[in-house]
Amino acid sequence: MEVTRYATEVTAVGALVPDFVEQQILVFFSDAAPEELHDFSVLHHPTVAKSGLTTGDEVVIDGTTMRVLSVGDLAEQNLLALGHLNLKANGASQAPLPGDVCVEARALPIPRPGSKLWITGTLTPP
Amino acid sequence: MGDYKSVRIAAGRGGWGGPLVIQPNSTRNLIYSVTGGGIHPVAQRIAELTGGEPFDGFRSSAPFDRIAVAVIDCGGTARIGVYPMKKVPTVDVHPTSPAGPLAMFIKEDIFVSGVKPENVTEA
Repeated sequence: MEVTRYATEVTAVGALVPDFVEQQILVFFSDAAPEELHDFSVLHHPTVAKSGLTTGDEVVIDGTTMRVLSVGDLAEQNLLALGHLNLKANGASQAPLPGDVCVEARALPIPRPGSKLWITGTLTPP
Repeated sequence: MGDYKSVRIAAGRGGWGGPLVIQPNSTRNLIYSVTGGGIHPVAQRIAELTGGEPFDGFRSSAPFDRIAVAVIDCGGTARIGVYPMKKVPTVDVHPTSPAGPLAMFIKEDIFVSGVKPENVTEA
């Protein structure tokens, strides 16, 4: 049974986001985040914020689907409390940092205002 | 409120950097908590010992030049570097080390991590 854990719509994309994407990183924050975080963040307004995520989940940004390989210990709290997600396309099967959500090494899409992001999974997160 | 005291903030178990000595003043008096869910206990303790004003960064915004210290609960990518980059002394409640795209700004004299309330003492 696949569930939607999280669904959101992008409201703004900071000027430094393309630089972060070049480093295979996308940083998301809810649009309530302090202004100093806006430059490098994809800001968004969640409609579903049910649970954290786990290995094997799918992160979908518009037409791009990515499989989650590893999840740091802080990722769930970040996502549910702050709308904060550090998505790293590094192919890591062990998250290097506690806030990381790692997917396969690939070119990350650059979201635009209006882009949709959702996270689906079948397993209950630990 | 014109009588501010200074505190010493040391790295906790597994933490990095510091110790930082923080003394708010009448223009830089905010103990800025960027942790979600209100004022973090570490920020609360710094505010109590110094007389600074606890401030929730997720509820409203403040100019950097009013912030005495920023308390974050960052896993090592984003917030960890933003406040040091702006020359704001930064306390991470998680035991992180310099990492991420902003790592170059994270130095021992402006950043300390792994901090729990008991690592904050009168200076």
